[in-house]
Parts: sequence; C-alpha cells; structure tokens
Amino acid sequence: MRYHKVTPYLFIAPMLIGLLLFRLGPIVAALFISFTKWNVRTPPEFLGLANYQEMFASDTFWLVLGNTLLFAIVYVPSVIILALVMALLVNQKLRGIGVYRGLFFMPYITSMVAVAMVWNWIFSTRFGILNNVLRDLFGTSNVSWLTEYPLWVLIIVTVWKTSGFQMMIYVAGLQGIPSYLYEAARIDGATRWQQFRHITLPLLTPITFFVLIFSIIEAFRTFEVTFSMTGGGPLNQSTTLAYYIYQNAFVFNRMGFASSLAYVLMFIVGVITVLNFYGRRRWVIKDTY
Amino acid sequence: MQLSRKRLFLLFSLTLMMLSGVVSVQAQDVTLRYFMWDPSFEESEQVMVDICSAEVGVNVEFEVIGTPDYWTNLQALAAAGDLPDVFNMSSGFVDEWIADGLLLNIQEYIDRDIMPNAEDYFTGLLDVARAPDKTTGDAYAFPFAFVETVLFYNMDAFDAAGLDYPSEDGWTWDEFLTAAQALTIDEGDDGLVEQYGFWFYGRYAHIESWVYNNGGSFLSEDRTSFAPNEGAVEALDFLVSLVQEHGVAPTSGEMEGIRQQDVFPLGLAAMWVDGAWNISNNRDQLEGSDLRWGLAPIPQGPSATEPQAYGWPDLMAIASTSEHPDEAWAFINCMTGPLRTVDLTFPGKIPVYRPTAEADEWLELDLLPANKGFLLDWAVYTGPTSFTPGWGEWRGYVDGAGLEGQIDAAVSGNVTVEEALAAAGETANAVLDRFYGEE
Repeated sequence: MRYHKVTPYLFIAPMLIGLLLFRLGPIVAALFISFTKWNVRTPPEFLGLANYQEMFASDTFWLVLGNTLLFAIVYVPSVIILALVMALLVNQKLRGIGVYRGLFFMPYITSMVAVAMVWNWIFSTRFGILNNVLRDLFGTSNVSWLTEYPLWVLIIVTVWKTSGFQMMIYVAGLQGIPSYLYEAARIDGATRWQQFRHITLPLLTPITFFVLIFSIIEAFRTFEVTFSMTGGGPLNQSTTLAYYIYQNAFVFNRMGFASSLAYVLMFIVGVITVLNFYGRRRWVIKDTY
Repeated sequence: MQLSRKRLFLLFSLTLMMLSGVVSVQAQDVTLRYFMWDPSFEESEQVMVDICSAEVGVNVEFEVIGTPDYWTNLQALAAAGDLPDVFNMSSGFVDEWIADGLLLNIQEYIDRDIMPNAEDYFTGLLDVARAPDKTTGDAYAFPFAFVETVLFYNMDAFDAAGLDYPSEDGWTWDEFLTAAQALTIDEGDDGLVEQYGFWFYGRYAHIESWVYNNGGSFLSEDRTSFAPNEGAVEALDFLVSLVQEHGVAPTSGEMEGIRQQDVFPLGLAAMWVDGAWNISNNRDQLEGSDLRWGLAPIPQGPSATEPQAYGWPDLMAIASTSEHPDEAWAFINCMTGPLRTVDLTFPGKIPVYRPTAEADEWLELDLLPANKGFLLDWAVYTGPTSFTPGWGEWRGYVDGAGLEGQIDAAVSGNVTVEEALAAAGETANAVLDRFYGEE
C-alpha cells in the first residue's frame, strides 16, 4: 500500500469528527447560548451578560458553589486515602486476591440508581438499618440523615462508589515500584512504615497526581448521586454545580442560564487543574529508579 | 374516435371509482403520532388508540414516555420542530406552551363538535387551557380527565378510635384536629409514633387543598405575582401546628426513605390529603389486605365562605405544526368521548365525558373506596389553581426547593411561616418576573 500524507488523517478522522461535532461544537455553542434567554422550545433571545449578572447576584448560586467546594474538599482527600489503603491491602500475594480486587472495584461498575436505592434504604429514617442499629446499640432516636446531613451522605456514598477505580490505578502504580528498592531498605533495617513513607509514597506521587486531578474533576462534575438520592434537597442543601446546571437546563428550561453556569464550572475546574500542574513540581517525584 | 355511450359510462364510472379510491387511500395514509405520559396505563390506552385509529381512519404511532423524561423529550422535539401531532399536556405547563405558540387553537373544533352536546361534557374544565383570558379566551387543549384532591381516611383506625367517619357534607379544622389527635398512637410512649393522625409535607397537592378551602390563595388577583393572602397564612399556620404543637403529623424527614404515597397504605398515618389518582396505588399496596378506607372532603377552614375543592384537568393538545389538524382533532374527540368505556378510564380520574363518569360501573361498588361517587359531588366545588408559567420552578414541584422546601422548613421548625413565605416569595416573584416582568 502506498503511503499518502492524507492516510494518517483518515485514520484519526472518525475520532476527530466526533470530537468536533459532539464535544467542541457544543462547548462553543454553549458560550453563545450563555448570552441568551433560551427555553429550547422557541428561538433564543440575546441577553448580553444578564445571565452572568443574575448568577453572581443569586444566593442560590453561592450556596450551590459552597456545596460543590465542600464536596470537593472532603471527597478528594477521602477517596485518595481510602483508595491508597485499599490498594495496599489488595497488593499482596494472597490466594484469591483477584476476587478481593474485584469486590472492591464492584461499586464503581454498579449502576448509580441501584447504589442509590440501597443507600437510601440504609439511611431511611424509620426503617433504615443505620438508625435501627444505632437505636438498638445506643438507644438513640431516629436521625433524618437525608434531610439533616444530605451533602455528607452524598460524599460518603460517592467515596464508597468511586474509590475502587482510584484503587486500581494505585495498584498499577504499586506494581511498578521495583522490589529491589524494598529489599535494599530491608537490608538497611527500614521498618514497614519507613518503607512506605520513604519508598512507596514518594514513588507513587506521579500516580497520586493523576488520581488527584481525576478526583477533583469527578468531584466537580458529581451528578448521578445527587440526582438519584436527594434531588439536591432539602432547599438546595445538597445541590452541586453540575446538578444545578442540569436542573436549569432540563427542568426549568433555562438553557442560557445553565450554559453560563457551565462556563463558570469549566473555568473553576480549569484554574484548579492549571494550579495543580504548576504545583506538581514541588511534590511530584519523577521516576528516577 | 367515437365512444359508444356504454363505453363512455364505463369510463366515467371507472374514473369515479379511481378518484374515490385515491381519496380513501389518502385518508388511510394519514399517520398521527400520539405521545402519552403514563406508562401504568399503557395497555388500556393502546386499546383506545386501536379503537380510535379505526374510527377516524388513520394510522397512529403511539408512544408512552414516563415523566419527567416525557417533558425533556417533548421539548427537544419542539426545538426540532418535530412535535407529535397529539400529546398529553399538563394544566401546570399549558400556559407556557400556549405562550410559545406550540399548541393549536382548537376552539373552532370545540364549537363545532362539543358545544352542541355541551351537557355531555364537563366543559368548565376547558378554562384552564384558554388564552389569553381564562374565561373568554380560546381553548388550546382539550381535557381527557379531571383530577382533584381528597382526604383519604383509614376506616379501621377510625373504628378503633371510636370516631365517626368524616362527613361527606364537610367538616371543620377543629373536628379534623380532634380526630387526628385520637388517631395518633405511640405504643409504649417511646417517642416512636406507630400511627400518626395525618401525613403531609410541602407538596402542592397536600398544601393548596387546605389553602383554597380556607378562602386562601398564594397568588395575586391577576395571578402575576406571589402574594399569599390571610387565608393562605392561616392554613399554613394550622398545618405547621399539627406537627410542632399537636404532634399529630410527622415531618417529611421522619418519613424519608418511604414513598410519600405509601405512608397511608402502610398504616403509618390514618389520614392523608392528595390527588384522587392515588386510589390506584392504594388498591395496589393494599391488595390482599382487609384494611378499609374511604374518601372525604378537605376540612373547611374558618376563613372559608364556601367549600372549595382543589382540582385540575389533564389535557390532550395538538401541535401547531401538525400537518393533520383535522384528523388529530377527530382522534382527540374519539379518545375523550363515549367510546372510552368505564374499563378504559383511569382509576381516580374523572372522565371528561359525563355519561361515563356518572355510570354505575364507574363507581366500582365492589372495590374500595366504597364512596368513589363522592368524587363527583366534591368536583362541583372546584375552584382556581395556583398554576402559572414557571410554576414547577417556584413551587418546587420537581426539586423540592421553592415554596415546597420553605414549607417543609417551617414544618420542621427551622423557620417561621412568615419567614418561609418571605423566602418563597423572593424566589417565586423572581421566576414570575421572567414571564410577566416586561408587561
């Protein structure tokens, strides 16, 4: 077969066309829509910056942004620590270790709707297992978890559901650390903690960096769990930015306002990602072994 | 060439036959698309679609999509200019759809086909789909059924408490409170109430029923702003006191994890106000159970001068872009008329065609509730609703925020009724301003 300059482009064309049509196209379109009033059913009307002005003057927006930041601040370290602990546990030569890895990974591939149903039963005020256990053990009265602590419930469920994925990335990272480093450390008399502190943790920093970026993005785009468990309630106490965008776009038919929210979300995630990339020089260790 | 008379007649006849054939083929070739929102009635509706497609002589592509996806789909189709010819329309959204020019004005059809037999239909229901004026404007959708809120009560619980059943002629808040107190049971006095007297939360069907039957309203007279009157505030104060002062009803948080429509059939509350369409769910949940239950009017508040029921019609509309408006109307006329027999109606919803609604079979005397006929008596008192453009948003219908969330906050004791209404008003008026602000 003769090589033509066009050949490689033909190979990447399907991907490129898909990306342009279904990713970049909507991103650019959303920028224009964010300057309009558009209820989907009728043509958009140009509004200028009104959507952005309304957003920044809205108490609900700041509440939702606060919820999103709190979600990210708690979720990201929690999921990283849990995933690392699970990875260390399943990175051992045990009989049937694959089964354990599979079990820890299972929540990640389970449908969010099914997960939400099970956790809703656990947290149910009257018949939930959590309140029943607490009542039997400590004589406590029923707590309305989903009403009084909705955002915390969402964080717990999301950490539980997603940590399996981050765990698998850490497992891959752990298996990439050469065993001679641990052997040398053992010969020098290093304890298990010292091996972890001075070999495992530093050499995992490139993986941790990836997991950090991934988890931050996951935190900011959290949607399914909110949709399935609390619907953002009560009174937007558990509404996060991605869910708020969905609500405005597809429930209240405010595509223009929703697009402006989407751009703010993109800006926040973009800034945090850029900061992370600049900051990584301070703590991410390049592979030197 | 000379044609004989016989041949000429034959040619003429053949031409006529061919022409009539073309007309007939054209009628049969019309295909309507019909979207319905309730999967639980798909089978019976399919029977009606088959009957009416044969009756009208059209093909019908019938699609059922459950809410809320129904609205998302419909809006996407509206944006693409590809709305189905006929589709279900909610009283809560009809104003917005009319304003957007998406619904066909069907007043001429109604004048031609319905008004000559007006006594056969609940024609008062048409008002909700009129524009620009709700009494004199043209109709843009036609009701297929009528729903209203009622009080469901557990007859066994009333018997056990030694109480008389609520009178169908009406009862007062004091009588209701006395019953609710007697029906609230905390066995063992451990704070875990086994049976509450009543169950409600900030949901529109739970709240508006009390507000309107106390002469109240959440809206200004011209319906363009949120302005709760004294009757509304009084009703909310009373409802909050049921939880905070009398302990005869739970907070919504206490019932978290249980579907709201299951609290009553599970026996966790002896009384409950919601739409009569819940008759169907009660029957399903209580299948095989001996529990007896009935329907009663909403207790009348002290500020009410006359009884007022809270209800609204469910509608069928024709897209303004439909290429077959005549056939679409004929289809709607068939779907809502005498061919929809009692077995094809929706339990708990009153058919718009009176002879069907008033038939003995519709009363289902062999099933609970034994007094289903009360729905027809109560419907006489139906008054206005709180539906406006943007209603779903300011009322918190989908997201539990807005007025619904604020009422729940007041019921939970987190804010006062005044604070709740002030906060709800801020949201509601911001939403309403988007629709009426430029006027």
